[in-house]
Amino acid sequence: MSALDEMLALATPERLLRDPRATGEGVAVAVLDSGIERTQLEERYAKAGLAIHPIDGIGFRGPKPDIVPYDGHQSSPHGTTVADIILSVAPRAKLYSADIFGPQGTCEVETVVAALRYALDVWKVKVVNLSLGVPEPRLQQLPKRQQLFRAIEEAYFRDVLVFAAANNDHPITRSYPAEFAAPLFSVDKGLFADPLEFAYQLRDRVEFQAHGRGYLGPFAREPATSWATPHLAGIAARILSLRPDLKPFEMKTILYWLGRAEARKSS
Amino acid sequence: MNATVLVVDDEDSVRRTFHDWLLGSGLDLRVFAVADAEAALRIANDNPIDLAVLDWNLGSGSDGLRLLEDLVVFTPEIVAILVTGFAHQATPLDALRMGVRDYLDKNQNLTRETFLAAVRKQLDRIAPAKRQRELNARVAAFRESVENVLPIVRASAALNDPVPLPDAVRSLFQFLLRGTGAPDGALIVRHVAPDGTETLAAYAPDGRKLPAPATAFARTLAASVIGHDEPCLMNDFASGVEGLELFPFEENRKTVLAARMPVGAGVQVVLEMFDKPAFTEDDRRTAAVAAELGAELLRQGLAQRQTHRLLFDAVESALAASQAVTSALASPAPTEAAMERLKTGLDATANAVVDSATGLELLEAVRRLALRHGPDAVRHCARQIDELRELLDRIVGTAP
Repeated sequence: MSALDEMLALATPERLLRDPRATGEGVAVAVLDSGIERTQLEERYAKAGLAIHPIDGIGFRGPKPDIVPYDGHQSSPHGTTVADIILSVAPRAKLYSADIFGPQGTCEVETVVAALRYALDVWKVKVVNLSLGVPEPRLQQLPKRQQLFRAIEEAYFRDVLVFAAANNDHPITRSYPAEFAAPLFSVDKGLFADPLEFAYQLRDRVEFQAHGRGYLGPFAREPATSWATPHLAGIAARILSLRPDLKPFEMKTILYWLGRAEARKSS
Repeated sequence: MNATVLVVDDEDSVRRTFHDWLLGSGLDLRVFAVADAEAALRIANDNPIDLAVLDWNLGSGSDGLRLLEDLVVFTPEIVAILVTGFAHQATPLDALRMGVRDYLDKNQNLTRETFLAAVRKQLDRIAPAKRQRELNARVAAFRESVENVLPIVRASAALNDPVPLPDAVRSLFQFLLRGTGAPDGALIVRHVAPDGTETLAAYAPDGRKLPAPATAFARTLAASVIGHDEPCLMNDFASGVEGLELFPFEENRKTVLAARMPVGAGVQVVLEMFDKPAFTEDDRRTAAVAAELGAELLRQGLAQRQTHRLLFDAVESALAASQAVTSALASPAPTEAAMERLKTGLDATANAVVDSATGLELLEAVRRLALRHGPDAVRHCARQIDELRELLDRIVGTAP
């Protein structure tokens, strides 16, 4: 057994994920999605006897895009389902909502990049959740693809963990930025008995597999990568509340190791 | 300016002389020269006259002033120069009221120069009003032609609409209901205009419009599907969903299969099917195909409609703009008194020393312009300043 193996042997799911201090406390998470219905989550967690941090955010409008204030509402329920999953895994994480879809219901690459930069520069988050994908045909222009790639790389070099949903079951279309697998955490859906379970399972550039069912919203029970991604982001937030300064490659190593350990346990 | 001058004099030599002087003047003129009132009125009936040069005494008991009274009927804006050997016979006030702006006395120093100077003076005076009239006429003609053509364009747009929306919905559902075995469904269409105005419509499988009361779209079942790339199915819909607002046609449903149709920016379309005992993965795939094909169908329909709407918008904007131009032209031109006051004011500030703060203000404005829009904008600005200086020079009479 190598020294690394010895060291990693100490990193067990029980020690890291089920530590009572692993609540997401002190970890800022940006949810780049369709907005979060703030009151709905506050009431839901208050009923469960859990106090969550106030959710702040911004919205985006127009092609430039312009930043508009967050009014505490979602433009569609998708973002609220995602936020609920993160809080269900790491209830003390501080959430920031970037509504990148807005009332028009469409999202351009420029808006994703603008929201990502805002999350890095203004909110200074440690985790970014992207339960969305830009289909490959919309990134045919090389400058657009590079723009997105540079923003993801910038997050990596600033020690920010980006979790991105892999495309669902579409046989042909690849979806970005999950395809930029190296500097981020690409997440596929799986079904696990415990939402804290996940797996490292490299498949066509997608590295991780996490629980694909949500808890709040009409289609939350439908398995989807959109719901798997916040599960893994929430798990990372739990670990970060124990060691807030972990770098993306360190977190990837830990998740890889924990994923293998889970696989060993279940086999 | 192209102006029309009518000369009426019963003396052949005088009439011919005036005619030749006018044609040889270098002015851009159309000249009619006739001997009597009857011929003059025939000309005026066919041609709008700007300036009439009228002999006071036209013979046969007729006079220039009376003829002018009749000419005003054809061209209310007409002005006239009265040529007379007996200036005292004219009644200045009446004549002025009728449009006589000058007198020429046949017996006192009537030369080519004095005649043309009088004509030029009147033409200069009427030039702005004439330009306004011509523009008004052109705008009116434009409006009339557009207003005539608009119903034809609208009718043609309606006829060319390739797939009316209800028909498209009906065809789509025929395929879907048969393919999935679902007994019922609905299509929800939401449009958000760039100014934020929102419209929501729902259609039944037969293309009929369903009542879709105003509701917060963000909390609807349809909105829940928007963020999903693939159709979503729920076989336990009857158990209800927290925080969801339902349309009347969605209430009391047992199962739902819903798919987003990617039609285009600002348009959200969701296809919903209800109440199959249990939707399957095959149904999901069928819905995915139908959503893609249906989106293409709707995209084409919308593109046609948008083209038509753009055309209508352009035409309506043009009509509104022409109305604005007409209104602006109708506003009175600055009076001579106002111009005189302006000139006095300019005289008073001429050669005043510009203080350094004002100078810096100008420099700062030019610097900002250069930074934001580059050297071409600065050159344009310099030209504007030169033109303003020339205009003010002309007003105060110091133009070189």
